[in-house]
Parts: sequence; C-alpha cells; structure tokens
Amino acid sequence: MASSASSVTVVGRTTRVRGRLSGDGDLQIEGLVIGEIVTSGNVTIEVHGIVGANVRGRRLVVRGAVQGDLLGEEAVVLEDGARVVGDVRAPRVAIAHGALMRGAVQTGDDGAAQPPLVRAQASAKSAPVPARVVAPPAKPVPAGAVKPAPVAKAVSSVASGAPRRPPPPVVPVLKRTKGQVLKKKER
Amino acid sequence: MASTVIGAGIIIEGEITTDEDVVVLGTVRGKVSAKEGVTIQQGATVEADVVGAGLTVAGTLTGNVTATDRVDLQAGARVVGNVKAGRVTIADGAQFKGNVDMDV
Repeated sequence: MASSASSVTVVGRTTRVRGRLSGDGDLQIEGLVIGEIVTSGNVTIEVHGIVGANVRGRRLVVRGAVQGDLLGEEAVVLEDGARVVGDVRAPRVAIAHGALMRGAVQTGDDGAAQPPLVRAQASAKSAPVPARVVAPPAKPVPAGAVKPAPVAKAVSSVASGAPRRPPPPVVPVLKRTKGQVLKKKER
Repeated sequence: MASTVIGAGIIIEGEITTDEDVVVLGTVRGKVSAKEGVTIQQGATVEADVVGAGLTVAGTLTGNVTATDRVDLQAGARVVGNVKAGRVTIADGAQFKGNVDMDV
C-alpha cells in the first residue's frame, strides 16, 4: 500500500509550492507551483493547476495553465483547456482541440535529447545578420543588410505562430514613450 | 483523506502553503504552512519550520513546529527543534531534542 501510494505526489487545489520540486515518481498538480519541476515520472497539470516553472518529466499532460518550457522524455500532451506559454519539446507532442499555446514546438527523438532551448535556434535562424561577417567594404551593404532583419523576423514569427492570434502587444514600448515624453517635458 | 501528498521519491526545496492536509513521504526543505493537519510519515525527511493545526510525526523532522491544536510524535520519529502547541504527545520510542511549549 505504502509503495503504491508513495509514488504519486499530489499538489492539492489550495496548495502553493514555491521552489524546486524534483525527484522520482509521478506528480499531479491541482494547485500552484512556482519554481522548477524535474522528475523521472509523469507529470499531470490538472484543470485548476497553475505552473510557473520549467517542467521536465517522462510524460507531461496539461489541462491547466503553464508558463514555462515543457520537456517530455516521452511525450507532451496538451489537452482541452490547457494554456501554455513556453516551448514544448518531446519525442511526441499532442495538442488537442481547445488547447491554447504560444511558443516553439519540437517533436522527434532529438527533442528531449538536447538541453538547450529551441528558442535560441529559432531567433538565430530568423535574423540572418551573420552576413555581415563577409562585409565587403566597397559596397554600402550595412544599410541593406541591417534593414531586412526585422522584416524577416516578423514574417517568420507570424508564419510559425498561430495565424488566428496576433502577437501580444508590446507593452514596454508604451512605457518607454511615456518616459521619453516626460523627460522631454522636464527638459 | 489528504489533498496534498509529497511522494516518497520527491524532494521539494522551497515553501509549501496550503489550506488542506499535507502528507509527506518524501523530502521537504524550506517551510511548510498548512491550515489543517501535517503528517510526516515514516521514511520522510523534513528540514523545515512547520506551521499547522495538527502535526503527526513518524519520520525525521528538523525544524521548529507551531501547531494550533496538537503535535504527536510517534514511535520511530526523530525530531530536532522546538515544539509549540496546545497539546503535545511523545510516544515511547520517539527521539526528540528541543523545547516543548504547551498552553499550561
């Protein structure tokens, strides 16, 4: 009895964990976890579960909310009602009808094998700045080479992201303009 | 029936806050705050200050305990720390080092 019961860890509805949750055994999260989750077992984030953490486990099933990267050694399943902001990597990834996510997805055997995140690779691909390295000095390349970068970035992000949803509003810009205006007025 | 269970193989380093019962079979380092009962099972290790309505210890606990109701140290328990509770029982076979503060 003890062995079967002890293999499952439950974070209940009203429970909040801030810190690192690691070890062996299955996790069932119905409450809040902020920090990091690393287990060799399966992780289920239930309907009312909220996770602000990178999650690593064998098989990850999400029905709740996650902000962080999901790394499944075996599979990641986003079920109806799941809300995920972060990258998802696993040999097998399933996103069910009704699941919402924003982030990069990588499936296949190399998905779980590589610790570094896909996000870094994606940004490197979308910005073809390395052309500068050649930089022939005779032609005015810098102006032409620098400008296309943001266009390509925007196109690729739209193409890879969900077409129905526009990218999130960039809030910091508003703050900057406010700050700039204030500074100008003060001066 | 416990709503929150820390399984035998699991280590939590941080803070646990809950309105429910907590059963620890694994390892917790940091702090545990519960409005209901906290149970530290045999084989479990808790290095944390524990606050709750009631506390039952059969495993290893290092840290200070504050319980609004009662604290029971069962046989096999190893506790190092101060215990403050309305009622405290220490079973024969429990190891304990620390102060006891009961409502006298």
